[in-house]
Amino acid sequence: MLSRTRYRLKQHHKFEQDDQKYVVDLETGDIVQINDVEWEILSRYESQTRHQIVEALKKEYKLTAIFDGIERLERLGKQDLLLQPTVENLAARSLHPYTDRKPKLLVPFHFTKEKSALDYITNLNRYQSLKHLAEFAELETLAFPEEEKEDVPDLDEVRVRNISRAKSDTLMPPWYAMDGYDGILLLSQFLTDDLSYYRIPDVPIVHCIEGDRRLQHVLLRTLLTLCAFQSSKDTLVVKASWMKAWLAELGAPVENVRVIPDGIDIVELTSDKALTKQHTATIFDKPMFVKQPAVGLISGFEPNRGAAWISEFARTNPHLAIFVYDAMLAQHYQHPPENTIIFNADDEETRAVLPVFFQALDLVCFPAMPGTPLPIVLEAMAYGTPCIAMTKYGMPREVIGAGVAIEAEWDHFGNFHVPMVKLSEMINKWLQPSDARTQCQGFAKEIVQRYTRKNAAQVLIQVFEEGFQRRTDNLRPARALFPPIFCRRYEPDTGTLRSSVYRLETNRYDHLETALAEVLAQGHTSAEVASVFKHFQQESSIPVCETTRAGNGFPDNNRETNPTGQEHQ
Amino acid sequence: MIGFPKILHQLHLFEEEGVPYAADLDKARVVELSTVMLDILKLAETQTDDAIVETLSTSYEENNISEAFERFAELEREGLLFNRGEDLERSLATESKWRKLLVVIPGININSFFDIETLSAGTNIALAHMIQHLTKYADLHFTGSRNRKIANGVYEVDIGIGDLVRLRSKIAETYYGILTLHQEHDRWLLPFYRHPEFPPILVQNHAPRGHGGQAINSMLRHYAAMRDYDGFTAPSDYVRDFYSQYVWDPSFFNTLPNGVDATLFKPMEKMVAKREIAAEVGDDRIEAVPTVGYLSRVQSEKGASVYLKLAELNPYLIFLIAGPNMGRYASRKLPDNLVYVGFHPRERLPLIYNAFDVYCFMSMSGEETFGLTVLEAMACGVPPIVPNFDGVPSVTGDAGLVADAENFNHDVATLVSYPCPVDFSEKINTLLNNAEMWQAFSENARQRALLFTWDKTARRIVQLFEGLHQKKKLANPNRLLNVFAPIPPIEQEAKQRLKYRALVLSMNAHYERCLMLDAVYPLRVEDGVTLSILKNHTAREAEAILAALIPDETQARTTLKRVRSLIDGTA
Repeated sequence: MLSRTRYRLKQHHKFEQDDQKYVVDLETGDIVQINDVEWEILSRYESQTRHQIVEALKKEYKLTAIFDGIERLERLGKQDLLLQPTVENLAARSLHPYTDRKPKLLVPFHFTKEKSALDYITNLNRYQSLKHLAEFAELETLAFPEEEKEDVPDLDEVRVRNISRAKSDTLMPPWYAMDGYDGILLLSQFLTDDLSYYRIPDVPIVHCIEGDRRLQHVLLRTLLTLCAFQSSKDTLVVKASWMKAWLAELGAPVENVRVIPDGIDIVELTSDKALTKQHTATIFDKPMFVKQPAVGLISGFEPNRGAAWISEFARTNPHLAIFVYDAMLAQHYQHPPENTIIFNADDEETRAVLPVFFQALDLVCFPAMPGTPLPIVLEAMAYGTPCIAMTKYGMPREVIGAGVAIEAEWDHFGNFHVPMVKLSEMINKWLQPSDARTQCQGFAKEIVQRYTRKNAAQVLIQVFEEGFQRRTDNLRPARALFPPIFCRRYEPDTGTLRSSVYRLETNRYDHLETALAEVLAQGHTSAEVASVFKHFQQESSIPVCETTRAGNGFPDNNRETNPTGQEHQ
Repeated sequence: MIGFPKILHQLHLFEEEGVPYAADLDKARVVELSTVMLDILKLAETQTDDAIVETLSTSYEENNISEAFERFAELEREGLLFNRGEDLERSLATESKWRKLLVVIPGININSFFDIETLSAGTNIALAHMIQHLTKYADLHFTGSRNRKIANGVYEVDIGIGDLVRLRSKIAETYYGILTLHQEHDRWLLPFYRHPEFPPILVQNHAPRGHGGQAINSMLRHYAAMRDYDGFTAPSDYVRDFYSQYVWDPSFFNTLPNGVDATLFKPMEKMVAKREIAAEVGDDRIEAVPTVGYLSRVQSEKGASVYLKLAELNPYLIFLIAGPNMGRYASRKLPDNLVYVGFHPRERLPLIYNAFDVYCFMSMSGEETFGLTVLEAMACGVPPIVPNFDGVPSVTGDAGLVADAENFNHDVATLVSYPCPVDFSEKINTLLNNAEMWQAFSENARQRALLFTWDKTARRIVQLFEGLHQKKKLANPNRLLNVFAPIPPIEQEAKQRLKYRALVLSMNAHYERCLMLDAVYPLRVEDGVTLSILKNHTAREAEAILAALIPDETQARTTLKRVRSLIDGTA
């Protein structure tokens, strides 16, 4: 979805005569008759935003009349009357607008559905992220208390802007987001009303998608849709590099997709590894965690396939004590293999004990795929544990230097395959003391410095700034003075009709698909336009080849035409 | 010298950054003035040139005043500041009580429409009659270059084609509709459809085809560009149906039959008419022998060559030709029974028709849509024989005979039909050899002709405009917001092959919730494309696109209907 074209108000003169209102465009010499609301809009056009204009006039005029007035004036602008389409000076916008203050971000909240849809750790991370973001930005959310009801109080670090609306005011929340925000942070994991915020011109939007296991079934659709909604000022934030790689593999536009892993919280090492192994063995009543090498598997598998894979992995590696972190299997996988324990932190208490288990690990394995919680991977490694990433896209950049990769296959239907023997060999190798392992252990320990919540918040702010600087790139091309006329064209030689496009300015027919792409580009991103054409290519109905019989019984024996044939020269 | 005093346009004088300007509201243009020009304008309506010079001579140099006069002369030539012609405002204020229609026909001589003798083509004659009768229901303002009253209810107004877009608000306020002609080579009208402010535009269409498909293509371009509340007229159901086969929305084509002045064209004592013509051309055979008539330009396209064959086939009948001249046939040896009766003014045409026992209409032209002379002959009680071609049989109905014709879908030069001389000959003889049948056809012809009146034509135009206004009220802006997005394939499909869909938001461009429940609703890409196109293009343009994108026409039409319903339903 694209933003609007901007206009500059040209030199003009307004006057009234015989109860009619007029405005003179002093640059073209044309006079335009305007109505009362257009008169008011023109008075404000140069100094106020569209939002301010509407808010100022809505008590006196119907909303539709105000919007219609703005649309009419901008339609005149497309004809170079009164307003002139303009592109902002690039140099003038090189700096972000909030050098001397914190940026003000809108964070729409409607977490009821989301909270229950996400796991405990993800929810916790979101809360922590906001808390740290509040150090660098002013966070505000919107509330619309019903009449005569109390205002909604502030939510910790997030201030609540209570908006009282008249019953006749049917404007949706995105309207109010146009007022005074430097950016909008969207956290919704579903295709909810949050999508409407993408309609707002100029304000950069950063939409964070978690890649939570529980939303795996809708994740790809959500990501692809958000990519389509974005204009150049907007950014889609994913939490792991493999999610971006996955989108790129699918052909989605990833120019504005950023990877910002959540920061992690690490408790201080309280004891040596032997002691944590002892604790783990005791807690789970699994003495093998003391005797055998402990390998952590941070799972992102689809549950049914995951259970089967874990069983096979455990059978293939009976000499290992396997600690699986899996939010869903911990609940549903009743009888895991003997050498395997499955765990999930789903409350404060279980969350608190997790570092003990992680400190007991000798190696961390994880499939680099959506659904695998990167913060858990990082936290598991942060005590100096190297990793083996089962990956389709190469070593994830988040853990480069802290382990090795083994090539895996998976698709977004949950099918995952890794050569199990090779994996076992690699695990055994990396469990042995070596220089490489020592080096990786050192890198792993640095993870805690690299992935802090503060860093994540700062990067997020930076993303907003970049979006702000890109915000004028999404200006739609100004409409041509004579837009193309899509029409059927009768071909007397064949008696057929062919869809074509007529260009008034040149008095020629042109290729339909060229003009269609032009017209679609005025309201859609290039990715969207590409989607349209890919769809029709798949459907094998390529516009330019299409001819249709006129239905008049004329013979149809010659379909050759000259698509750019000139008329009436 | 310029000739003050003069009537000024409605002006608003103002200064901006020290520069004086005159805003000419009649032309929607602003003119930069000098101070001396400003002072002259203040005196322009009341003082003569000399008086103005004298009044201002104390304040300005004489050459400054002269320069100002010269500049005013230039502006007047451009139609600015000064009323050109009569003070129409005043006469309209006292006379006008009807709806006003703006008639825009570039390049015409308006006077000719009120002096029918100067017109030759049936189309123009029909137009002149229609205009004259339309004044009973509306004031007609012809675009032109000066203000003047032409006849009661008919004016030329100082609005040029180049002024129309600038004056669209004023035109919308003043005029109930715009009446114009479709002329296949003209492009001036196409940009006007882009302006929603203009009142409904009704385009008279007279030529269904010909010129290698150019007429059809021109019509298709207009059809595509037209707003929902514009339309065409077609002189016969045939023409309407002819165009309807090329488009999905035939409601844009409205039959507007021609009429006939049944008080002028009426049956006379046939022998009296024949005697008069016989005397005039000096050929007694006209009185003694049954006559066949032809009244048209004597050209191939009008079937003159075939008519000559008819004369050769029927040497015992007299074949009369009435037309401006015999054209190239004059240099040919013509059959002895062919008699050229000359060119006659319009009021004498009833006499000519009445001298015919049978009227043959032979046109082969691709631009033949009605056959006004057929109706005139019928009004005179003369049974017509017409080719089974284009809209002509719909005029005769059961009041004439229809002869065979070879019709061609492809133009052959300008011809699209060939009337069968043998069948025409047989039908002529059938009629002339059966007095009872002739009498019945004669009476039917007159009765049927009485159904076609110019008054009906004029009223129909007003009705059509009323219908277009109704459509205008039903038209809705498209404020829906939509995007296109890939969707993941299902597992059974080829790996990594994305599908695509469109999504429409439940919030519209005015930030209102226009759809309940969900935030987005999935649509087929075809629906999404239609929705996007309908933002700045017409449904007829969407028709052209969908016809290309969707091979199944029924599905394509359904898509357009569905999306338009969505727009209207959520407006």
